[in-house]
Amino acid sequence: MTLPYALSRLLIYLVLSLGAIAMAFPFYWMLATSLKSPQEAQQARPIWVPERLKPANWRVAAQLGAAGGSPLWGGYQDGRSVTLRIYTDRMGPEPQVFIPTAVGAFSDPRAEGTQIRTRYQGDHWEITFTNASGESFRLLPAVVLLSKSYSSYRPELPPDAVRSSGDDWRLEWVNLAPGALGYVFHNYREAWLAAPFGRYFFNSFITAGTQVLVGLLLAAMAAFALARIEFPGKNLVWLVILATLMIPGEVLLIPSYILLSRLEWINTYYALVVPWLASVFGIFLLRQFYLSLPRDLFDAARIDGAGYWTQLVRIALPLSIPGLVTYGIFTFLGAYNALLWPLIVTDRPEMYTIQRGLQVFIGEAGSDYGALMAASTLAILPIVLGYFLAQRQFIQGVARSGIK
Amino acid sequence: MLRGFTLKNSLGHRPTLVLGLAVLLALVRLAVALELLPPGAYGVGAILLLGVTLEAMLRSFRPALLPGLGLLLVGIGWGYSHTPAVLVALLGVGALYWAWAPRMSEREQASFWGWVLVWPAVGLLLVWQIFPSLYALWLSFLDRFNFIGQSRFAGLLNYEILLTRDPLFWKAMGNTFWFVIFTVPLGILLATLVAILLNERVRLLGFFRTLYFLPYITALTAAAAVWDWIYHPEFGFLNWVLGTPGLDWLSTPQGIFALALAPLGLELKGFWAGPSVAFVAIMVMSLWHLLGYQVVVILAGLQNIPKEYYEAAQLDGASWWQQQRHITWPLLSPTTFFLSTLGLIGAFQVFTQVLIMTPTGGVLQDTLTITLYLYNKGFRDSDFSYASAIAVVVFAVILVLTLVQQRVLERRVTYET
Repeated sequence: MTLPYALSRLLIYLVLSLGAIAMAFPFYWMLATSLKSPQEAQQARPIWVPERLKPANWRVAAQLGAAGGSPLWGGYQDGRSVTLRIYTDRMGPEPQVFIPTAVGAFSDPRAEGTQIRTRYQGDHWEITFTNASGESFRLLPAVVLLSKSYSSYRPELPPDAVRSSGDDWRLEWVNLAPGALGYVFHNYREAWLAAPFGRYFFNSFITAGTQVLVGLLLAAMAAFALARIEFPGKNLVWLVILATLMIPGEVLLIPSYILLSRLEWINTYYALVVPWLASVFGIFLLRQFYLSLPRDLFDAARIDGAGYWTQLVRIALPLSIPGLVTYGIFTFLGAYNALLWPLIVTDRPEMYTIQRGLQVFIGEAGSDYGALMAASTLAILPIVLGYFLAQRQFIQGVARSGIK
Repeated sequence: MLRGFTLKNSLGHRPTLVLGLAVLLALVRLAVALELLPPGAYGVGAILLLGVTLEAMLRSFRPALLPGLGLLLVGIGWGYSHTPAVLVALLGVGALYWAWAPRMSEREQASFWGWVLVWPAVGLLLVWQIFPSLYALWLSFLDRFNFIGQSRFAGLLNYEILLTRDPLFWKAMGNTFWFVIFTVPLGILLATLVAILLNERVRLLGFFRTLYFLPYITALTAAAAVWDWIYHPEFGFLNWVLGTPGLDWLSTPQGIFALALAPLGLELKGFWAGPSVAFVAIMVMSLWHLLGYQVVVILAGLQNIPKEYYEAAQLDGASWWQQQRHITWPLLSPTTFFLSTLGLIGAFQVFTQVLIMTPTGGVLQDTLTITLYLYNKGFRDSDFSYASAIAVVVFAVILVLTLVQQRVLERRVTYET
């Protein structure tokens, strides 16, 4: 049985596309949720395009933000007034407006120091918030109770939540002076400020970077010696390397932890880096490569008086850059994405890596799925960006590790 | 001048030996500091190092050797216990070599340099891989080792409890078994299908490959958070797609076989109930995460198969399916064998997604995996001995399984000659 060519091509593309959609969907869902308000996220029927992704809203957000602070990131600065318009079919009952007080706060200078004025202007209610508190704030949350007797109403900036409250609609905004970026990336900013993500990123980059640079050098040194130098005890070294190859990672968790705590290295960069510096994978990969280089290259250098160190640095290392990049990407990925090890050797937030920090954040964020997805997006962003820039190296690296 | 004192035979590999002893002395010093070796061990090591050094120096004494010896003595006298002291001593060895080198043969110099280059990696492997493995074995024979209080030698007690009286361990082993059975063959099959299709000279190959590979490079922590959200009982996307509002995937401990056969009046219990719904949800997520890797590896394997085989088969009138069955599949077997070995070992290491999606190991510990159980025992219950026993058993199981797999499966692998 043979299918007509066109039909079989169509079938191939259909299957591949369906698969690709299934693979990519979680990423789309993560991004979409990270741009949603809590009420949008918590719908039984999914919302495909969140309000914060609609360009019409960005313009209003920028205007409101400019009134309160800056057009990009907004704010509610001292002495500024922010005016929201709510278009209605007629002049009905006056809406009640207030600023919600933070839960458990004794006094809220933002709510108390704000003058709220409402008046009807032709076809809309104009609600003006004036900051007379003497302080500046990052956000201007607001609640408007609008009578259900209006047959239609349209606020300039869509509310983040609409609830029913007796005879009124309760319209809620998490931030009425957001600015364009502050509006779209509201969840990202809140997540970023809720936990020391900057510090987490710093820790991750420092540990993964050191692991790559020092690990590369050590692996290249050992691989070069094993491939190019005859020395007594080489078989013994091979035995050590092959033995480590058999040890599964779980076996090392407990004893390494005990070792680290006796060294008082818990909660230090040493604990995150040193145990993983020597990598058998890197030694294997590079040794294979150095063996494939022509012997004459090194013999000629030796005759010219180059020592082994010079041969390594001047000849072997520059020639093995593709292998080094492969191994470097792999080590960086492994170190950056690891959770189990940082979970064991760090318990102080200032030493958390990004994945460890994210894990704690997941536990604390509760049902704020927007912030949760924003934090997850942030955590994978550097790797995904790097992947899109250096795709070929990423994929070739994996393929090479598979062929052996 | 002092020719009479010079012994006739050359230095041999003595500089290498001095270097090795100087490095090993640092490891011995570390073990003494951690109370793993008696304090006397350091003295013995230091005397051995100095003895070997002096003997080597006397073989062809020159004043140029003295600074090196001086540095070595400073290092040892300084206690050898912190990095600067060890570095000073190693610098001393370097100075000795510098003075020795002109009289050493090419082969002897090579021996010294080989070890100089190998020692950093080997030293780290000894301290952070070889030693901990042996230490884990030792810990597993103790009774409830932790940082509080003394622990006594208990022989095989931990193993006896673990293997005969610990239902949770067997639950975790069962889950690992189901993980292998469900994800390895299905993953390889799906990946082979995708790779074969991608290999049919598709346009947008790069685009598809990029998308399929994307999950593999994303951190499991974040990926698990997203899937947790997709599986959400009230607002999850999956429940909307399937029209099953309120179904709490990750808190459903019933086994899938038990659920499937319940309408027929069959009641399956324990292991035979199969993996729980929650664990199946975790397996689906893991499959998604790993598929791209498998696709890329298989695609590379496919591109290694010579085109001539297919051309010859087409001339003989073989159908597309016959070509896949009789050329692709057998010639791909080294790759699939590699992936299945990897999948087997990987199943024992499943941890992150389980911790994120079911932080306590699920309802009734139904999503417990070996690594999560080890983590719970070691770091939540602070029973390092018992956790070490789990680790040793896992080590043994993986070893046996890979050996069996190599004996049984590798015979059926077709290597192209």
